[in-house]
Amino acid sequence: MSEPILTVRGLSKRFGDFEALRHIDLDVNQNEVLCLIGPSGSGKSTLLRCLNFLEAYDDGEVRLEGELIGWREGGASPRRALASGALRKQRQGIGMVFQQFNLWPHMTALGNVTEALMQVKGLSRKQAEEKAQAALEKVGLSDKAGNHPANLSGGQQQRVAIARAVAMEPRLMLFDEPTSALDPELVGEVLAAMKQMAAEGMTMVVVTHEMGFAAHVADRVAFLDGGRLVGVTPPSEIFGKEPEDPRIQRFLQTYRERNVV
Amino acid sequence: MNFSFETIWHNLPYLLAAARWTLIISLAGMAISVIWGICICAARISSSRLLSGIAALYISFFRGVPLLVQILVFFYILPYVGLDLPAIAAAIAAVGLCSAAYSAEILRGSLQAIPAGQTEAAHALGMPPMSLWRRILVPQAIRIGLPSLINELILLVKVSSLASVVGIGELTRVAQNITGQTYRPLEIYITAAVLYFLINLVISRAGLLAEKRLKVS
Amino acid sequence: MELDLFLRYGPALLEGFGVTVLCWIVGSLGGVVLGFILACLYRWGPAPLRWVIYAYVEVIRGTPFMIQLFLLYYGGPYMGLVLTPIQAGILSFIVYGSPYFAEIFRSGFNAIPLGQIEAARCLGIPEWRIVLRITLPQMLVPITAPLTNFFIILTKETAILATVTVPELLFQVQSMMAETFTYVEPLLALSLFYWFMVTLTARFGAWVETRVTRHLSRA
Repeated sequence: MSEPILTVRGLSKRFGDFEALRHIDLDVNQNEVLCLIGPSGSGKSTLLRCLNFLEAYDDGEVRLEGELIGWREGGASPRRALASGALRKQRQGIGMVFQQFNLWPHMTALGNVTEALMQVKGLSRKQAEEKAQAALEKVGLSDKAGNHPANLSGGQQQRVAIARAVAMEPRLMLFDEPTSALDPELVGEVLAAMKQMAAEGMTMVVVTHEMGFAAHVADRVAFLDGGRLVGVTPPSEIFGKEPEDPRIQRFLQTYRERNVV
Repeated sequence: MNFSFETIWHNLPYLLAAARWTLIISLAGMAISVIWGICICAARISSSRLLSGIAALYISFFRGVPLLVQILVFFYILPYVGLDLPAIAAAIAAVGLCSAAYSAEILRGSLQAIPAGQTEAAHALGMPPMSLWRRILVPQAIRIGLPSLINELILLVKVSSLASVVGIGELTRVAQNITGQTYRPLEIYITAAVLYFLINLVISRAGLLAEKRLKVS
Repeated sequence: MELDLFLRYGPALLEGFGVTVLCWIVGSLGGVVLGFILACLYRWGPAPLRWVIYAYVEVIRGTPFMIQLFLLYYGGPYMGLVLTPIQAGILSFIVYGSPYFAEIFRSGFNAIPLGQIEAARCLGIPEWRIVLRITLPQMLVPITAPLTNFFIILTKETAILATVTVPELLFQVQSMMAETFTYVEPLLALSLFYWFMVTLTARFGAWVETRVTRHLSRA
């Protein structure tokens, strides 16, 4: 395995008095798929949102290929946020897929993908559309390019959202519970698209409740509880045998009970 | 010419007395508005096509014509058909009948906001229609519609100024009269504006309080 | 019915109608522009400015249009602002309408789900482009109905301009009434006319609404 592309050191985040994240240390390697699991309220989504500075973290560092995300370098205290242009530049390298898709409903599927290609990357309409078509084709939606989101199923909307992020050619992809808002029969098509991305070597951090995906696609699984990182292990350590940590045991126990019909 | 607080101080009693008429017009108008509004709302949602159609026409007409024109119509038409009402009555009637069109729609919207399951539950219990309306639907509709009805009352305070056109000595008219004598429009109209604003502030605060009281715990 | 009366006063009535429409259109459009600026300043401006805007909105919405009109027209000269009746009418329309329009735009801004803005930020799209490409086009949907509604309210408020001798429709009808001593027919005809205008505006608003929401309905 190669050297880490993303390093998180001593990351903390508070919302008022509530400590959402406490001193998280985490590395993500090049071409790796890392799944974040844990009970709801454990801080998984907050951690993910700190990685691209949608949440401004309070202490610690997030570095993508050595570059500090969100804050200015140097020891100034209190820290000063980056200028908006510099932050935008950083975010271009980090794709994100949301639980609620967050497609723009007034644009077609194609328009959703071309928007940033034209406005941010400065491609011409023709170039952008070619690139967007290719991205949509990859997620199996080339025939839906002209549809507005209202005329797409949840699974199709989420695949458009994936295409929108991937078309920007990010170095890292973040997924925030990408299948939690979907009807069960639509989960498979989204996971398939993600699996394909993983197979092509995309570096991915995935917050998920899909233990099957974590077990079979993830290179490593990180378990969060109460804002703390309990452990990071290969999936076989968690799913193959009984995990050692009682908190992980309990989580998996309730999870199994819920899913046994 | 500098701003004369003395003019304001000197004329404040007259303006305050006139503000009383503003309140009378808006409150009496509101009473007519709610009572008549309930009738129109009942007609509007009744199963009779004719009644519902007439109510719809009423609502559309009174909402489609400027209130100032309605006041003038009342002022000139009532004597024409042999009804010799004092101008103040014509103004209150015009304000109330016009506002009833809005109140009817507010109440209709509130009734629609009550889940149909409640009516079904009452039917299942064998509750007669009158008690269903009196005990279940109307109290809730007024509760739900209260913020909009308070808003309507604030609106009435403002439109009561139109009654000045037919010579009623409410706040705006008296302000005009005083301006005619003192040639101090800035001071007098600003004072009138402040009084209107204070009246509406009190109403909206009282409305918030009433809303809190009525909220189902 | 005194049909010949309407024929005789036809040109004056037509002129009055022209003035009514002029004040309505210029006044409402001015109100929309000022309202939009206020809403933007309220959203992105510094705190003290937001307080000023908040106070402005509350004061204008809490006082009668007639008083605002009188203040501007009769009080204006004492503040060095001498206006013709039509100028005063249009300006007071702009002042009166702007806080209502500002509130409509404010609620429109708030109606766009934050997630859509975040998605755009994640792709590195600049803030002003997000407003232009994501927020504004979608705002059209929730604001069309309240905008139409307020345009209709303003149509009716034009009648009040007659009180400061703006030669609009009601003013012309009133002078016709005074000269001919007929009151009932002209006023009823005028009522019908306003009703027609308002219904027409409402229809137009409904048509615009179906157009701007087209992409949201399933084909």
